[in-house]
Amino acid sequence: MTTLVLPSNREEGWRWSDLSQLPKLAQRQPTGVAPDDFQWIGTEREGPRLVFVDGQLDAARSQVGPLAIGPVDVTASDHPLGALAGRSGWKLKLGRDHAPHGLVQIVHVSTGAADHLAAEVELDVDAQASIVETYVGDGWANRLTGMRLFKGARLMLSRRLIGSSGFVSLTDRAEIGEGASLIVATLAAGGADTRLDGRCEIRGEGAYAEAAAALLARGRQRHDANLAIRHDVARGMSRQVWRSVADDLSACSVAARVEVARHAQKTDGEQSLKGLLLARSATINAKPELEIFADDVKCAHGATVGELDRHALFYLQSRGIDPEEARALLTRVFVADALDRIGEEAVRTAFYADVENWFGQSQAWVVPSEVEGRVR
Amino acid sequence: MLKIINLHASVDEKPILKGISLAIRPGEIHAIMGPNGSGKSTLSYVLAGRPGYEVTEGSMTLDGEDLLELEPHERSARGLFLGFQYPVEIPGVSNVQFLRTAVNAQRRARGEAELSAGEFLRVAREQAGALGFDMDMMKRGVNVGFSGGEKKRNEMVQMGIIDPRLAVLDETDSGLDIDALRVVGEGINRIMRKPDKAVLLITHYQRLLDLVRPDFVHVLAGGRIVRSGGADLALELEREGYGEMAA
Ligand SMILES: Nc1ncnc2c1ncn2[C@@H]1O[C@H](COP(=O)(O)OP(=O)(O)OP(=O)(O)O)[C@@H](O)[C@H]1O
Ligand SMILES: [Mg+2]
Repeated sequence: MTTLVLPSNREEGWRWSDLSQLPKLAQRQPTGVAPDDFQWIGTEREGPRLVFVDGQLDAARSQVGPLAIGPVDVTASDHPLGALAGRSGWKLKLGRDHAPHGLVQIVHVSTGAADHLAAEVELDVDAQASIVETYVGDGWANRLTGMRLFKGARLMLSRRLIGSSGFVSLTDRAEIGEGASLIVATLAAGGADTRLDGRCEIRGEGAYAEAAAALLARGRQRHDANLAIRHDVARGMSRQVWRSVADDLSACSVAARVEVARHAQKTDGEQSLKGLLLARSATINAKPELEIFADDVKCAHGATVGELDRHALFYLQSRGIDPEEARALLTRVFVADALDRIGEEAVRTAFYADVENWFGQSQAWVVPSEVEGRVR
Repeated sequence: MLKIINLHASVDEKPILKGISLAIRPGEIHAIMGPNGSGKSTLSYVLAGRPGYEVTEGSMTLDGEDLLELEPHERSARGLFLGFQYPVEIPGVSNVQFLRTAVNAQRRARGEAELSAGEFLRVAREQAGALGFDMDMMKRGVNVGFSGGEKKRNEMVQMGIIDPRLAVLDETDSGLDIDALRVVGEGINRIMRKPDKAVLLITHYQRLLDLVRPDFVHVLAGGRIVRSGGADLALELEREGYGEMAA
């Protein structure tokens, strides 16, 4: 790649972004050294497993199953990062009533440089799938994912971003048909910065779309999310549950939007954006937006930013629980609203374990005491 | 066991405790009575190490160890238990999870093996049962939606499970109905009346002291202990009120 054109903070959708490490990562050479442990989630029925190292399929360590590798039908030419992802990658296309055997697991390993990959999930009438994507490593993983759900199809997509450093940018484009259901749950609990972008269009009556995310940040980390769910037809339902946790000098920013077209009557849309500041020097930005053109809708949104309850912290400590563990316990409760949306217990358990790990690593960060923070 | 000498403490820069001295030996039960706002809860919080409660003068030691050097969870691991006047609600954390975390944290701190889920549940069931607290309550969020009396009873269940050596019980009797008061009084005797344990019982009423008979009664007024005596002092106060002492 020769020139990397990135959006500036002056653009509304990117005002809280920090893409400053991307040019550097884009010029690096990957080491290609993958870890031994791919963090597979143990399930009763082992499903397809894909390993991508720096955006390339590691065939020896993958069991492709019903998935395919090659050109995919998804574009995001209007999106500066999504457009970089290219038009080839993995594809899961399921016919009517089909479901893969077990959980689909995809591990993306980035080894110090930039890698780009696209993906496409297309579920025909009443097909269903559950996919877990795990991002590890320390490069820049840039992804574009297209999702098309036909009538009655169901997709649960769970993502965990647990790389040690670097950047993960995910751009999603989803279309949901009549009575179909899409749930995307995201956990950012590593050291990488993130940019999560999504646009989800409800195209069929009675469809359900949900985005649930727990974003944990510390040090100087940045998580930055921008999601829009659009209701184009009547009787759709959407839920957005965002839980941001920021410590030290980090920042979590969430711009979440619900759009209701004029004829999308009886839409039921809810957004809940909550932030938890573990330090006064951290920043949480929350911008819930509603754009409603229909008159008979039920839409609610709320955004709050707070700190851990001091009374609860003391109560826990008075019973012998050390301050770190007390903070971890209360923070775990805080993100539970988002993580509990994950259907499969094994997946949920693995994601909670990542949250515990995040706390286990917390001593690594020491904020200089002279730094005076701001709380926006 | 507990030795408090000339303790002064402030909350938000406001002096509340103004020179308290008190010695509690193993096997003893001390009651502290005194008018509203006299500093009883402040004393209990200072003992437990609540942030914002600043000791400005004096000392307090538990078995010779300076409490001021210890954080709240370390004091707990040394055997100190505070029964809160106003127990805190913690939505999303079940009682069972809370207590198992607490018990195991203390055991780790003392270099003892952690309890397995099964072992813990056995202890929890036994203690909850003894205090007429059903296990469904134990599975609910800590104190969430509990009535005032249920919260107090829950404090005693926690005390039973944690099995402390020194319990500071701040108005554990308030909000209890007549039967619950008896259950709680019996609980305190059963759990704490042992030769190597001690209790500091903060209360306004004789009813609890009828059940848990104190060896010493102290009157706290204006941040100082203005009078000390035996169990009879409580009876006298019940008859005559604090009168001059409260001034
Ligand atoms: N944060 C605070 N700032 C200023 N004053 C405080 C603060 N907290 C407590 N106080 C004051 O300290 C005094 C002692 O309060 P404390 O709660 O210890 O009384 P108490 O003896 O337990 O009373 P009660 O019998 O009503 O429980 C009261 O006058 C109270 O108003
Ligand atoms: Mg009080």
